[in-house]
Amino acid sequence: MRLWRQTWLLTRSDLRQELRDRELVLVAGLFSLLLVAMFAISFTALPAGNNHRVVLPGLLWMSVAFVGVLTLTRIFDREREADTLRALLAAPVDRLAIYLSKAAVTLIILLTSCALLVPGLALLFPELRMIVEQPAAAGLMLVLGSLGFTAVGAVFAAGLATGSGKNVLISVILYPLTTPVLMFDIVATRALLERHPDVWGYVGRLAALDAILLAVGALLFESIVVGVGRTAERRAS
Amino acid sequence: MRALPYALFIAAAAIFPMAPVRVFLETPNERTMGTAFKIFFFHVPMAWIFMLLAVVCGVAAGIELRRRSRRAAAVARASAEVSFLCGAGVLLTGPIWGNATWGEPWTGDARQMTTALLWLVVASYLLVRQYGGPSSRRLAAGLAIFGAVDVPIIYYAVKIWKTLHPTTDVVTTLPPSMRAALWPALCALLLVSLGLVIVRTRQVALEADLDEAWVELDRQAQGVTA
Repeated sequence: MRLWRQTWLLTRSDLRQELRDRELVLVAGLFSLLLVAMFAISFTALPAGNNHRVVLPGLLWMSVAFVGVLTLTRIFDREREADTLRALLAAPVDRLAIYLSKAAVTLIILLTSCALLVPGLALLFPELRMIVEQPAAAGLMLVLGSLGFTAVGAVFAAGLATGSGKNVLISVILYPLTTPVLMFDIVATRALLERHPDVWGYVGRLAALDAILLAVGALLFESIVVGVGRTAERRAS
Repeated sequence: MRALPYALFIAAAAIFPMAPVRVFLETPNERTMGTAFKIFFFHVPMAWIFMLLAVVCGVAAGIELRRRSRRAAAVARASAEVSFLCGAGVLLTGPIWGNATWGEPWTGDARQMTTALLWLVVASYLLVRQYGGPSSRRLAAGLAIFGAVDVPIIYYAVKIWKTLHPTTDVVTTLPPSMRAALWPALCALLLVSLGLVIVRTRQVALEADLDEAWVELDRQAQGVTA
């Protein structure tokens, strides 16, 4: 209970700060629109039909990955600029709560971007309007896909923020690690667009993958961000 | 222990000549793929060693992270380097075999994609370890652990997604003559890889010891001047 309360308090604090300056939402939102515009320039000449159904899932999840890296970098940069991450790590707060709260905020920002990306892409590619036929599966797919990305991303973005810098490494670390999740997302979205009868099976696989990534992320967060985990410290003392 | 890598290299040198003899002279050509199938006997062992060493790297990185063990850090780096080499071998031989069998070197098949991906994870681990500075060692270790988690995903990718690739139980379905040709290549490549991992582990550990000795010497020199 204590963990969930701390997670909620930290998430609320981040969201309150975001509501005050709206920096992340505006930057991520504008970036999403820019991506849609760039895709419009590059892909609207593609003949409609099957081509769109093949290309669309990739465009959608690539955009989520780009916006995700931007958001994660900025969330932890903000903490670094004010030197509040160190204060947070020194405070009597469960480190798992820090991980979960940062992942939650990133997820909210990513879903906000999806709220712009999906209608934007649907405007350009009519095939995407098919997801309206199965809103529950489509919504869950977006949440689970973004969650998988966030589960990995929050660990490494925090690790880079507490280190000596080199933010450029985040792309090198995050894209290869999150591509398996993105591949699952792309396959699941394609199944949805093709009205595959086993869409919920794909959603289930995504949920299982998310559970694995969240568990690994939660296990590693403390060790990556502050060094040896609490259990080892206790053993040493 | 000092002689262990040399013993491994000698054993590999003794076994390896058996591989081409069995593969090219004693094993019949596969009915549909013809001579191109022979690449299988080198491609598959390299793929296994690539994945095995990626897991070894992940486990060693986990120990490094938990216990701050320098030995484990050296093992993780050495395994990643040899895994990177084996991965490059897999990604080179795979398209050659694919071109002869499917008529295309790269089909975007699930196993091809995920193997390339794991190779990129290993490459980014080495990159972060090399250029990230001392503070990014923990990050690199985390990266290796996530990479190791990717290995079973890669293994089951073939079963989960539609693929042109042979299924994961292809080796057990091989006729005995073909299976007998696989073991010499696998043993020789495995022994060489393990020998290389041991040699590189020692070099990396020695490098760290030298760095530490240099820092200690510098500190002592500063103490004398003060």
